[in-house]
Amino acid sequence: MLDFTHSAPLTLGVELELMILNRHDFNLTRASDDLLLQVGRRQHAYDIKPEITQGMIEIGTAIHSDVNQMQLELYSIRALLNECAEKLNLGLAGGGAHPFQHWSRQAIYPKERYHLVSELYGYLAKQFTVYGQHIHIGCPDGDSAVRLTHYLARYIPHFIALSASSPFFQGVDTRFQTSRLTSVNAFPLSGCMPANVHDWEGFNRYFGHMQQLGIVASMKDFYWDIRPKPEYGTVEIRICDTPLTLETPVLLAAYAQMLARRCLNDPSLMAPESQYLTYSYNRFQACRFGFDGSIVADEQGGTRSLQEDVLDTLQALEEHAAALGSLEQWRSLRQRALTRRTDSDWLRKVLEDSGSLSEVVRRQSELWMYGRGQEG
Amino acid sequence: MTTLTWPSLALNPLAALGLLLAAGVLGARLLSRATDLPALTGYVLTGLIIGPAGLRLLNADLLLQAELFVQLALGLALFDTGRRIDLHWLRREGTLLISTVLYATLVFAGLYTALQWAGLDWSVSAMMAALGMATSPIVILELLRETRAEGQLTERLTAITGLTALMSYTVFALAIGSARVAGHQSTEDSLLSPAWLVLAALALGVAAGLATIPLRRWLGAREREQQQVLLFGLIALVVGAAAMIGTLPSLAMLVFGLATRNLQGGLTLTEPGLSSRSQFFFVAFFVAAGAQLMPRSLTDNWLPALLFLGLRSGLGLLFWCVAASANGLARARGLWLGLALNPLSGGAAMLMSLGILSVGSHGSRFAGTMMAVFVISEIVGPILTRLALDKAGESQKEA
Repeated sequence: MLDFTHSAPLTLGVELELMILNRHDFNLTRASDDLLLQVGRRQHAYDIKPEITQGMIEIGTAIHSDVNQMQLELYSIRALLNECAEKLNLGLAGGGAHPFQHWSRQAIYPKERYHLVSELYGYLAKQFTVYGQHIHIGCPDGDSAVRLTHYLARYIPHFIALSASSPFFQGVDTRFQTSRLTSVNAFPLSGCMPANVHDWEGFNRYFGHMQQLGIVASMKDFYWDIRPKPEYGTVEIRICDTPLTLETPVLLAAYAQMLARRCLNDPSLMAPESQYLTYSYNRFQACRFGFDGSIVADEQGGTRSLQEDVLDTLQALEEHAAALGSLEQWRSLRQRALTRRTDSDWLRKVLEDSGSLSEVVRRQSELWMYGRGQEG
Repeated sequence: MTTLTWPSLALNPLAALGLLLAAGVLGARLLSRATDLPALTGYVLTGLIIGPAGLRLLNADLLLQAELFVQLALGLALFDTGRRIDLHWLRREGTLLISTVLYATLVFAGLYTALQWAGLDWSVSAMMAALGMATSPIVILELLRETRAEGQLTERLTAITGLTALMSYTVFALAIGSARVAGHQSTEDSLLSPAWLVLAALALGVAAGLATIPLRRWLGAREREQQQVLLFGLIALVVGAAAMIGTLPSLAMLVFGLATRNLQGGLTLTEPGLSSRSQFFFVAFFVAAGAQLMPRSLTDNWLPALLFLGLRSGLGLLFWCVAASANGLARARGLWLGLALNPLSGGAAMLMSLGILSVGSHGSRFAGTMMAVFVISEIVGPILTRLALDKAGESQKEA
């Protein structure tokens, strides 16, 4: 039986997985321990921890209700990380997947859970060297969390298009806007929460059954795109690529907060079970084409462009953005949807100009660490 | 009746190169099956066995013919090492730069004092101490390629190797100048000679760097293969040009690499990396280096050679153990860094021949002692570096 911890509704936290790079050819380097050692030598209260392979590091914000405060905290975390990385001649970068690293060269971080994952999933564990943003939204109780999880599932393609930043994988252009999710799809417990779970009691029944069957031991075993996180009292959106800049994660968090406010304020808003019929198709369209994807938007099979769907949704969310004090973020999101601009497009442009994937990663690193270079 | 004559079975230069490569790789494989030693130790031992001191399949003339490949290998290694010197990092991480300068100065002072105490001429002592300041770039690069080492020790090892090589070649040039003053050559010559050795090499390296970046850009962003050919061509050109104008090719190549790394637009010049394409030359280099060793030199010079290497190694261990914390390393890792710096500069043998000409009657003492040093260092140095990388947890075993 999982207890759902109460948390203040609509509070937010984000986690970002980042690349650790050498500054010689900008490949991934096994340096998470060295970086954490440096971080540990400085006075701070930030959440910075290792990830499954040693070319990754994860940062997490505190709990915020105001996204502008979250932005300030992220800047402070970056300043600390930059100082440590510069001492060690390391680069840090956003992006959903490193463009040319080879998965077999990655080393599993020496932690019991990661070794267990590696033992169970074999090469999938090292292929999981991909970088995502997780957004936590506070929920008052388990029933609300289950309802919000279903509600947000409808908007998963939006989050994919807004965060897409992994067009290259293992040295080639995948022609996807995000290739990262292909690595996640390989896990048997990926996907989404079953459609027939309607409340927290139902969730517990499902979880208990899976536990009895010996398929899962904890919530961590579900690699779902979006899942309740009972110990935090949140719903966790796990679909986003880590964006290239430090501003986009806050935009994504603000978007999640606006959607959650609409859902939690109106108990009559119920996501139909039938949305899961088109879930994988819509998700694929967003991964492959970004804003240009064509999604099935209703039960009658009507299709529309993802761009149109995002813009209409944003239109409906304006009042919530105003109430949450995030109109600035709302405008930025709208601008992105209007211009259909994604991080993946920018990465492709850098490759076209330079002909070098090392140069692409160097520019990614400049952008994440110092916020410069995107204009070029 | 005509008599049939057998064709000569003496190796020509091409056959000699073939022998260097094939015997080197096979010998290294044989050694790796029996022991856990680095492949390059196998190359060196193979060279020793087939060279003039062993089976004499290779003689001094043939080794001279293979010099082209050896020089190119060294040029590639020094260029690549120069590219590991990141001035952006050294500006921010001044402790590393200061530590490296102090370390090289300490090694020079320690070796010079000890060699003087052992009764060697001051000019010989100065040149040997200058050579002792540097760690071998080619050995370090080859070991890093072989072990796929990554981490803070590796990062610092490559930076220190580049910087100490830069200092060593410069001090060596000054030592030659001083020796010439003592040899009663004109003051003008003695000042101009080291100045030319150093400044011409610096100018050539920077000029090559400045030319390479726009030439590469002109070829076009997508022409990566052609860019690589251009780069190889320019590396060979700079090595040859440095020899033609009578300056130090080693210094010119280091500066060439350093310039391309740090000038705008040069950061991703060598994509894909040069190391895999340099492998042919590196194998030839190590086998030739082994063939040039003369173990008999140990008979007369084992004591100063051991003193030289022991002191150099001891100072490195002590210094980096003390400086570890300031450089962001745990004390044990500082020790491993000191140990990893053991291999003596691969370009030292060539510099040695330059030095012999400058120390007159002391030349044989200089050559004999340094040869004894090389015999030990070429075999033991890489083993110590590999051990250090393993102990520091930075070498990677196959997954």
